[in-house]
Amino acid sequence: MIKHKLSYRKQKIFSGVAVFVFFLLILALRAFSTDYIETVDDPAFEKRIRPAVVFYHDDHNDRAGIDDCSVCHHVYENGIKTADMSVGMACSDCHMSGPAAAPDLIRVYHLQCRGCHLSEQAGPVTCGGCHKK
Amino acid sequence: MMHELYGFLRGPMLWVALLVFFGGSGYRVAAMWRLARKKDAVIFNYSSGYYALRSIFHWLLPFGSRNMRNHPVMTVVAFVFHICLFLVPLFLSAHIILIKESWNVSWPWLPDHAADAMTWMVVAGCGFFAARRIIQPDVRYLTSTSDYLILAAIAVPFVSGTWAFHQWPAFPAATLVHMASAEILLMIIPFTRLSHMLFFPFTRGYMGSEFGAVRKARDW
Ligand code: HEC
Ligand code: HEC
Ligand code: HEC
Ligand code: HEC
Ligand code: HEM
Repeated sequence: MIKHKLSYRKQKIFSGVAVFVFFLLILALRAFSTDYIETVDDPAFEKRIRPAVVFYHDDHNDRAGIDDCSVCHHVYENGIKTADMSVGMACSDCHMSGPAAAPDLIRVYHLQCRGCHLSEQAGPVTCGGCHKK
Repeated sequence: MMHELYGFLRGPMLWVALLVFFGGSGYRVAAMWRLARKKDAVIFNYSSGYYALRSIFHWLLPFGSRNMRNHPVMTVVAFVFHICLFLVPLFLSAHIILIKESWNVSWPWLPDHAADAMTWMVVAGCGFFAARRIIQPDVRYLTSTSDYLILAAIAVPFVSGTWAFHQWPAFPAATLVHMASAEILLMIIPFTRLSHMLFFPFTRGYMGSEFGAVRKARDW
């Protein structure tokens, strides 16, 4: 009788722990995944003047056939691009020298995104194509 | 198709447009200068920097001339129109961002809603000038088709630009129309009546010198 009660409590504890671990796992996966990125949202732009840029991170890279993360998350050494990647850093960590440097940061985003769209002849090139209302 | 056209309009065609605009402007001014030397050399004897600038200044001032005081509505519309016509393309955020991308130089820009309001004032100005040509008999008498075409050449880049900005239907096409029509506008400036932009300082300086230095009178 008592034994049965104990095992019932154990059951409850185990299932509680299992549910907890399950949610932890989802959270962890979410933290390391990029599925949830739907817009580019660089915190360095304090006052935005345009609608947010639509960018379904994984979807975009699947469809564009980009496997190499360092195409965008790049690392430079002495002005030469290396094969390393800077995943986890925002573009503004390297491309924003001061609060007045917003045009510099806009410039590198546009050169990277629009530059590839132009050379690949695919993907939006007009302001409204990326900054969708 | 979209990408080829966009690349062409932002690349080679932009260079052609700038070359024709600056080269054509330089050529027109030099040609006029040479003609004046040959046909009317006497003006260089009494041309006066002081009287020239004095006249230019008065004609740049709202209601600075008698002609303007006699036509108050036309004066207000013409001043607002010309100010917006110059400020919007030079201080529009989108233009400065594109220039920053290409040549890595930038300067402060107008808030987009201000630029948008000023754009509509230019378009309204074009409408006003067209209506004046239709309604006022003395002006209609002096009007030819090319006057309407020139107004349209100004209105099209402004309407298509704001079309792209507001992302109205088919805005990617509107962006291409905007770039092409703006480049056409730049190229026709030196060779049409729009060249008054280049000649204004010379005609006023000429009149100012003659009235100031020779007739001892004002020309405003
Ligand atoms: C087409 C360019 C591009 C490619 C290719 C790319 N990314 Fe990204 N990635 C971005 C952009 C842009 C952001 C958004 C940054 C922001 O919002 O500040 C981003 C964000 C991220 C983030 C989130 C960073 C954070 O601080 O929130 C991670 C993680 C990431 N990318 C990993 C990867 C990995 C792994 C790959 C390769 C499989 C990859 N990326 C390929 C452009 C790219
Ligand atoms: C770890 C630092 C670092 C990060 C993070 C980084 N970059 Fe860079 N990037 C550099 C360096 C260094 C250069 C080469 C030096 C230069 O030209 O400024 C460079 C060059 C560039 C260029 C070429 C600039 C030119 O003038 O031709 C572009 C475009 C660019 N980065 C875009 C981006 C974008 C977009 C991101 C974010 C997805 C990003 N970078 C993230 C360091 C970084
Ligand atoms: C290395 C090349 C490359 C880079 C860098 C790149 N793109 Fe793309 N992008 C593409 C290609 C190729 C497509 C067309 C994919 C297709 O066929 O649908 C595309 C399509 C898009 C689309 C259309 C919708 C979609 O997801 O297919 C958007 C929006 C977009 N890109 C935004 C961006 C942004 C924002 C950046 C910069 C952070 C960027 N791209 C950087 C190659 C690139
Ligand atoms: C290929 C995609 C793309 C195109 C085309 C594009 N942009 Fe962007 N733009 C971006 C990305 C990505 C960022 C960084 C976004 C962020 O973090 O919010 C950005 C940032 C900006 C910013 C700074 C953020 C803000 O809202 O203030 C401005 C302003 C801007 N773009 C204006 C323009 C204008 C004007 C045009 C047309 C001439 C244009 N963009 C075309 C992708 C694009
Ligand atoms: C040939 C070079 C030019 C290019 C590449 C260009 C590009 C652009 C682009 C891409 C936009 C849309 C911006 C957005 O989505 O916000 C725009 C807007 C605009 N442009 Fe241009 N442009 C050019 C020349 C001109 C010229 C010569 C004029 C005027 C004489 C002009 C007047 C305007 C106006 C009025 C707007 C709309 C502003 C608004 O409503 O906010 N542009 N331009």
